Amino acid sequence: MDRGAIAFAAMVVIVVVAAALNGYRHYEELLQQYTHIHHVEAAIVGGASSSGSRVLLQGAGATFPLPQLLEWIRLFMETHPHIVVSYRGVGSGAGQSMFFERTIDFAGSDPPLTHRQWLEYRGLVMQVPYLLGAVVVTYNLPGFHGTLNLSGRVLALIYSGKIVYWDDPRIQRLNPGYRFPHKPIVVVYRADASGTQYIFTLFLHKSAPRLWPWSLVSKVPKYPVMASGRARGGKGNPGVAQIVLSTPYSIGFVEWGYALEKHMPIAAIENSAGVFVKPSIESIEAAAREAFKHLPKDPRADFSDDLTYIVYAPGRESYPIASWTHLILWTRYPCTKARALAQFLTWIAEEGYRHMVPGYAPIPEPMRGLLLKAAHIIVEGCVRG
Amino acid sequence: MRSRSDRLFLLSLLPPAATIVAAMMLMIYVFVYHSVPVLVREGLTFFASSRWSPSTSLRSAFYGILPAIYGTLVTSGIAVAIALPLSLSMTLFLNEVAPPRIRAFFSTLVDMMAGLPTIVYGLWGLFVLAPLLQRLVMEPLHRYLGFLPLFSCPPISGYSVLTAGVILAIMVMPYTFALMNEAYASIPLTYREAVLAMGASRYEASRILLSMIRPAIVGSVLLGLGRAASETVAVTLVIGNTPTISPCLFSSGYTIASLIATQYGEAPLYPFMVSALYGAGLFLLVLGLALNTVGLALVTRWRVRMGVSA
Amino acid sequence: MSLRRKLIDRAFVAVIALLSAVGIAPLFYILTTVAIRGAEAIARVGLWRFLTSIPPAPGTHGLGGIGPALAGTLILTALSTLIGVPISIGVALLVVEFPNLFVSRAVRALSKTFMEIPTILLSMLVYTLLVVPMHTPSAIAGALALSLVMIPYTTTYLETYLESVPPIYREAGYAIGMTKAGVALRVVMGIARKGVLLGIVMGVARALGETAPLLFTAGGSHYAYPTSLTGPVDSITLLIFDFAMTPYTNLIQVAWGAALVLVAMYLAIFLAIKLLVKEVRT
Repeated sequence: MDRGAIAFAAMVVIVVVAAALNGYRHYEELLQQYTHIHHVEAAIVGGASSSGSRVLLQGAGATFPLPQLLEWIRLFMETHPHIVVSYRGVGSGAGQSMFFERTIDFAGSDPPLTHRQWLEYRGLVMQVPYLLGAVVVTYNLPGFHGTLNLSGRVLALIYSGKIVYWDDPRIQRLNPGYRFPHKPIVVVYRADASGTQYIFTLFLHKSAPRLWPWSLVSKVPKYPVMASGRARGGKGNPGVAQIVLSTPYSIGFVEWGYALEKHMPIAAIENSAGVFVKPSIESIEAAAREAFKHLPKDPRADFSDDLTYIVYAPGRESYPIASWTHLILWTRYPCTKARALAQFLTWIAEEGYRHMVPGYAPIPEPMRGLLLKAAHIIVEGCVRG
Repeated sequence: MRSRSDRLFLLSLLPPAATIVAAMMLMIYVFVYHSVPVLVREGLTFFASSRWSPSTSLRSAFYGILPAIYGTLVTSGIAVAIALPLSLSMTLFLNEVAPPRIRAFFSTLVDMMAGLPTIVYGLWGLFVLAPLLQRLVMEPLHRYLGFLPLFSCPPISGYSVLTAGVILAIMVMPYTFALMNEAYASIPLTYREAVLAMGASRYEASRILLSMIRPAIVGSVLLGLGRAASETVAVTLVIGNTPTISPCLFSSGYTIASLIATQYGEAPLYPFMVSALYGAGLFLLVLGLALNTVGLALVTRWRVRMGVSA
Repeated sequence: MSLRRKLIDRAFVAVIALLSAVGIAPLFYILTTVAIRGAEAIARVGLWRFLTSIPPAPGTHGLGGIGPALAGTLILTALSTLIGVPISIGVALLVVEFPNLFVSRAVRALSKTFMEIPTILLSMLVYTLLVVPMHTPSAIAGALALSLVMIPYTTTYLETYLESVPPIYREAGYAIGMTKAGVALRVVMGIARKGVLLGIVMGVARALGETAPLLFTAGGSHYAYPTSLTGPVDSITLLIFDFAMTPYTNLIQVAWGAALVLVAMYLAIFLAIKLLVKEVRT
């Protein structure tokens, strides 16, 4: 072995050992971080750097609102040529982490900040639920015309594997006019970690808490029906849709927009008032209106359990599997950026909701105050620059 | 004899080389650093477990990458299993059978395939190959040969390990071909003349000459495996992305690359998941290094033995 | 030759011809699909508009265009070539002209190892090293990630072509008193110039077609033209990736159109080099 080889090997060993030692320290830091709450003291002035004569607003995060945001961005930039807004759908987690690392100005997040996160950044961040969507139940029943009625309880039984056949009396009872075939139900779920899945399982839990315990509410739950062999996992909305469309006697859940675009049949779900409701802008807004009564009215407050209010919301008109997605913002930005961002938020509140993409619903009027309040706070507290 | 000018020349070439070395060292550092947390927490079960439970609670969070490892090996294996006979055939066809005009045309086509943007492969795989394979290959195989474990699961959709393997084969084939072709074409003329002088037919000549480049073939197989293992976008779009380990070719699955691509977006929300993804990446890095080193060593040793090149 | 041998020979030729056709068939299938679906999309808007306007709203029937993404791809490709080509040439020369140094063998193995790395990890690496300190995704970061993908490919091609120049030409150069540098740069590179250019083009093509390295580094909007190199930038590949995963038919059509543009760019570079550069026969 010549000297070069030894030198090289030594270099690699040194690098690996250094990395390992520092990595262990990193591990301990992470543990600390996840078990203790460190309130961030420094006053953070948010925002990534800007360039050129135009003001640049960069966001990233959840993929759910992407089509609607892209449409809003397009329209907004048409009337505000000096502002450039960009949004990348990298996922809520990556969006949040990029936001806290200050490589972007705002994040899109399906889940709100956790209570712990809120405590850490209390007073420095804001959250605004700004866009509504829904999870719908779709199915493939050859020969069935009309609307399928389902309840959370029945769905919980299906996804636990306890209802096996379509002609089960519990399904039949909800749909008296139709004779179901004696076929086993193929149950489709999301194989990937998905916010849609979280909302769906949250709905199952709220509508049937004894059948569907809290432990099964998750982005990747272990559905009891998986053990039966009748369950299939699809990747993303396209995956689930594909399976349902091509498998007779199957049932699954997808984002509302997706079902609309692909013309998939949508079931009417029993809400907490006992009414069977299909998703529509009205029924989703109704759910949000009810939920908003329990929400904080200041965007700087803690929103960590806001989803539990909108899913299975009270009210005769409410669609029970509605949800919203959030914008995460700092309270302080450099003034040029602050003004631009405030303009964007105000535009959404006053103009944006008139231009909806199929599959999304605007937040009800009373809730839009959150957006306006956030815009106000940002402008008032802006830092020179 | 090393003159001053030669020494200067060498020195001027060192900065680019140093950049590569530095980049690799940085890579190793960053990967090891970020992998340590999950490895401390889970130890070797990280590689051996199929359980992938993201959770915000420290107690229940656990990340096992066995399905991803399995999927990487299976899809790469399928890819090379398909690409190898095709590359061999193409090598022999070009060198033994084809007239010179077709030879040039053909190798141009293969070069073209090698550089085609990977997203185009992915787009085509997603919308064209997957449904096609499902209809023409998977469903018939399942219907008639479903008793074999390889074909035992019903093909629900075209997004499967098999589809990923096929698309990888198409993408890898230009590389394995290029290596084999180069090796075959550079067999010194003397050997070729000797074989022909004995009156061998094209078939017999091919067999003899092929046996001479055996180490290069093995080497190119290993390099092809490495290339297949690291492909990200095309595989992510067609493999289905579920943490499944199954002997059935039609089931969906994960590769390490597609696991990282699909999970990275949500990972920061879950304690130690980012670390888990770096750990998976580290595994792939080490695997690639191993395959590569052996593959390259084989090809180089063969070259030396054949007396090929300076 | 006996009949048996002749028959085996014929069968052999038939088999390898068939398999070769099978091997090359996907290329035609892919190109045809992209051409048809892409042309369909572009024809609805007209080529110039497709190349310069911004994408449509999701779910509507308009098609718009890929202007910002195209601009981004051009910028990223140019930048990454600027970064990657000098390094590739330097490394290839080192490996071929000084093959017995350990540095050469190590660098050769290392650059091949980079090929093994899933491209998304390179994106993560550049994100940590460049995007976070800069507080913004940028064209530079994207180009850096792309060059990390490009360098191993170009280096490999260059090494192969430079090595395949028979030693006799080098010896001739030394014999007339040229320095190693002179021989390397003027004789060897000169003879292998078609291969060198091809290697560079292969690398450029790779950079042109990559998606994952740009996911966390480039960051641009599909709807706005980039303004500076230190600011975010979009790319055709990112646009295709984003749009292909939506359920909206019009966006998927834009994706196919974009794919056609991408393939056309790739083929243009590729064929131009193949046809224009004259090969030196050895």
